[in-house]
Amino acid sequence: MKILKFLLLPYMAAVIAGAFLWPAPAQGFIGESSRIVFFHVPCAWTGALAFLVAAGYSIAYLATRNPRHDDVAAAAVRIGLLFAVLALVTGSLFAKVMWGSYWNWDPRESSFLLLIFLYAAYLFLRAAVEDPERRAKMSAAYALFSAVLMPFLFFVAPRITSSLHPQTVINSQGKILMDAPTKAVFFGALIGFTAVFFWMLSLESRSARLERAAAAARR
Amino acid sequence: MAASVSSSVSPLPSSGWGPLRRAWAVCAKDAAQELRRRIAAASLFFFAATAVTLVSFAVGPFGLPAEARDRVCSALLWIILFFCAATGLPRAFVREEETGTAYALRKVVSSSLTLAGKTLFNYVLFLAITAVTVPAFAILLEWRMGSAGALVVVMVLGGYGLSVVSTFLAALVAKASQKNVLFVVISFPLLLPLLLSAITATIAAAGGEMASTPIRVIVAYDGAATCAAYLLASAAWED
Repeated sequence: MKILKFLLLPYMAAVIAGAFLWPAPAQGFIGESSRIVFFHVPCAWTGALAFLVAAGYSIAYLATRNPRHDDVAAAAVRIGLLFAVLALVTGSLFAKVMWGSYWNWDPRESSFLLLIFLYAAYLFLRAAVEDPERRAKMSAAYALFSAVLMPFLFFVAPRITSSLHPQTVINSQGKILMDAPTKAVFFGALIGFTAVFFWMLSLESRSARLERAAAAARR
Repeated sequence: MAASVSSSVSPLPSSGWGPLRRAWAVCAKDAAQELRRRIAAASLFFFAATAVTLVSFAVGPFGLPAEARDRVCSALLWIILFFCAATGLPRAFVREEETGTAYALRKVVSSSLTLAGKTLFNYVLFLAITAVTVPAFAILLEWRMGSAGALVVVMVLGGYGLSVVSTFLAALVAKASQKNVLFVVISFPLLLPLLLSAITATIAAAGGEMASTPIRVIVAYDGAATCAAYLLASAAWED
């Protein structure tokens, strides 16, 4: 397992280098702006994955009442928020280059911002409850309730109105509209970002476990 | 504690009563309490009256351009209704914690039935507010509705989703600190897909149409929220 973490460093370096050097810029985009797809989409994917992991561990917590599952769920939300903010920032940079403004009220842009609000609210909720057991139960219930309503934010609301967002990955044809080198780097980046997320998750969870043990020792 | 419980909780039906009647009993208990003290209803009506007056003072005298009227009025109306819900609907569970009756309620009725009863009460309260607010809003802003039937459908379906989510979140925050602020913070992002669809459908209703896509989204949202609230009721409400 440790060796995989060490391999992640050269792997991510290769992905980043490939993103800037290998595929030619896509047609129909200004300058090199299309290269942001190698960072923006993996960040958005990792954010969504993190929130799904949080929902999975929330189910596990409600089923077992094991506090470690609550630690992992909370850690997944914190890391997911980080990736979601990065996705929003990279998306805004792309929007500035392509459409002349950082914020265009594009439905996908707005729905992602609301997703950030949704999970920031999860952290507010955790901060408002003192009792650890009650906090864990309430957070799990909120995370699962949010997970059920998240598709409306992510998939339904953006489709009610028209979007400026490029349809290269999620589109009505159900195809990924990329050439072979772009696809290779894109999927490489997706795998790399996913691995980085799980690495961060293991570190955060371990840190929460140690904090819990320290608090128990103090009592 | 025992005195407080016995004075506030109406006798609930014992064995032989179906789950629906137990949920109804919770709703009737809340209605009886509300009729005695009228805090939730009064705060909702007062908030709605203040908000509608404020909006009509700010927008009414200047008039709105015809092409923007339906869009602006629909958005303002749902913003008022959302904040009305945030003001009054969390009372359903917060009151149980404040009066010390939560423990007895948990012992007598299952959490999912408690949630169902309180959702029903909140829904009726919300519809009552809507029945007063919408005509007042339309009169003060001189907003003509193309299809009143379509508007009623949007209000009935949208109000249901708003009541389910608000009641569930009220159960969740009942024991937290800073309940009121927390409720708005956690409910806004969850309710936004519903509010956006309701605003879109209201714009269409003002134009005389029944918009099928946003209505279908609202129905799906209502269904998903009901199932999730039912399944997670015990985690949100039980100790």
